[in-house]
Amino acid sequence: MTATQVLGNAAFVLGIAAAFAGSPYAEQHGRIDVEQLAAMVRHEDDHVTATELAGWIKDRRAGLRVVDVRSLEEYDNFHIPTAERIPIDSLVSARFSPSETIVLYSEGGPHAAQAWVFLRALGYEKVYFLRGGAFEWIEQIVSPTLRIGASAKDSVAFETTAALSRYFGGTPQRGVTSVTDDALAIPRAPADSGSSAPVSRRTTSSVMAKVRRRGC
Amino acid sequence: MSRLDTRRPAPYANPYLAGVGLGLVLLAAFVVMGRGLGASGAFTSTAAGTTVMMSPAKAQSSALFAGYVNADGGAWTDWLIFEIIGVTIGGAASAWLAGRFRFEIERGPHISRVGRLVAAFGGGGIMGLGAVLARGCTSGQALTGGALLSVGSWLFMIGAFAVAYVVAPAVKRAWL
Amino acid sequence: MRAPFFEFGAFGDQGAIIAALVIGVAFGWFLERSGMGSARKLSGQFYLTDLTVFKMMFSAILTAMLGAFWLGRIGVLDLSRVYVPETFLAPQLVGGLVFGAGFAIGGLCPGTSCVAAASGRGDGLALMSGMFSGVLLTGLVFDPLQRFYVSTARGSLTLPQLLHLPYGVVVAGVVCIAIVGFRVAEAVEARFSNALGRQ
Repeated sequence: MTATQVLGNAAFVLGIAAAFAGSPYAEQHGRIDVEQLAAMVRHEDDHVTATELAGWIKDRRAGLRVVDVRSLEEYDNFHIPTAERIPIDSLVSARFSPSETIVLYSEGGPHAAQAWVFLRALGYEKVYFLRGGAFEWIEQIVSPTLRIGASAKDSVAFETTAALSRYFGGTPQRGVTSVTDDALAIPRAPADSGSSAPVSRRTTSSVMAKVRRRGC
Repeated sequence: MSRLDTRRPAPYANPYLAGVGLGLVLLAAFVVMGRGLGASGAFTSTAAGTTVMMSPAKAQSSALFAGYVNADGGAWTDWLIFEIIGVTIGGAASAWLAGRFRFEIERGPHISRVGRLVAAFGGGGIMGLGAVLARGCTSGQALTGGALLSVGSWLFMIGAFAVAYVVAPAVKRAWL
Repeated sequence: MRAPFFEFGAFGDQGAIIAALVIGVAFGWFLERSGMGSARKLSGQFYLTDLTVFKMMFSAILTAMLGAFWLGRIGVLDLSRVYVPETFLAPQLVGGLVFGAGFAIGGLCPGTSCVAAASGRGDGLALMSGMFSGVLLTGLVFDPLQRFYVSTARGSLTLPQLLHLPYGVVVAGVVCIAIVGFRVAEAVEARFSNALGRQ
């Protein structure tokens, strides 16, 4: 037999055998150091604010990856600029480089927080999540508001936020009488999963719809 | 008979055996580096680096190039740049030892030298756009992604070959 | 020592550069050995007279695919730490279509153009210049493409995940398809090179 035929036969045998050989992946081991993670939560090293994230995106921070862990529908309807969608079950088999800074977000935060635990368990170090989720981004960046009668300190802080907001095409507003009047108030108990929702449940899509209507 | 006699080039290697050799190189990349091969990425890094040299602001404002710029502002230390330097060396060595090295503009019998150069430049430009969109070329996507069963890579491979067969009759004169 | 060596810290950035050079040299070597530095030979693929591209590419894919599977299976290689190119359905499909057109026109791909240039071929150099220009231009006017570029992202999606089949089954399938492909390629080549009176 020629060398080619030998190799061809070998490939065939190895290929067919592969079908019966099980998985080529080593078992996924995650180690959760509860004390370490709890300390990070306590020191607030686990999350970033939308404003911080906006600054990182604007500055094109090296190695930044903004990861949306929601459904395709939610992502297509609205997502943070430069965000890539990796659903939570694909997330654990995704490969990140140790030099990358990963910021996770979900609708309101819980799924992203869970994903944070998973990625930390797998050994990634520069992982954060957006505690208020996409809602926080909408509230702080897409449509930040400054109440009438806000303190001077708040007004100054608002200027920075407003500049960031404008960078992302948002609509900062001054002189809002009450945040609770506004449809953009963060819901008390955001629901992350796409279960059948009562009409009054706020989703980023309904909130963004209101924002878009209010725009030009 | 001297192997360096360029008037008698050695016959090409058996494509299956050379393919297995290439596959082992790819496998070595997996085992040693945890990544595969590539080519177009080196071109993107070089383009990014060139833009940085001309205007760092312009490089930053391009969402594509900005991703290739390091913290210190350079773009020249991409792994693929060193790999492609190796490709050039390996190719030259093989050509030289096989007596296949010659300064020539390879072209079909019915196209002029200038025509061939224009076609090569144009074809390269088009592939540049395609490779950027696809995040790779035949080396990075078809070979590497193909071996690792990446869905997007197989899509790229099938799409590229399908279109090539459609376009080929139109450019027959260049080759046959 | 577990593999991938670099991922497990066997060496640092300088070692990675050396690895890049060595791997690159071997890559270029095998490409040239099979004639992939020759645009005339390579373009034979598209006229069915010389199917070396197919035979070479799929032999390489089979070898690396089987190698990765089995080294993973016996625990030598941590396959989950090998970077799988990420899937972006629309841009990669469109990119492929565009790339294929350029490939048929130019007769070389980015990697083989470097081999061609290294063999003294002026057309290889021209293609490299064209490639560089195309990429540069695309990068400079990238903004309108940005949205499309990041659309339909699916992460590191593999065929086994997509088809909900065990990895090994997909491997077996690819091997069988390739072997059939090789047989067909031999027949097609015989038919079409005779028809054109070529070697």
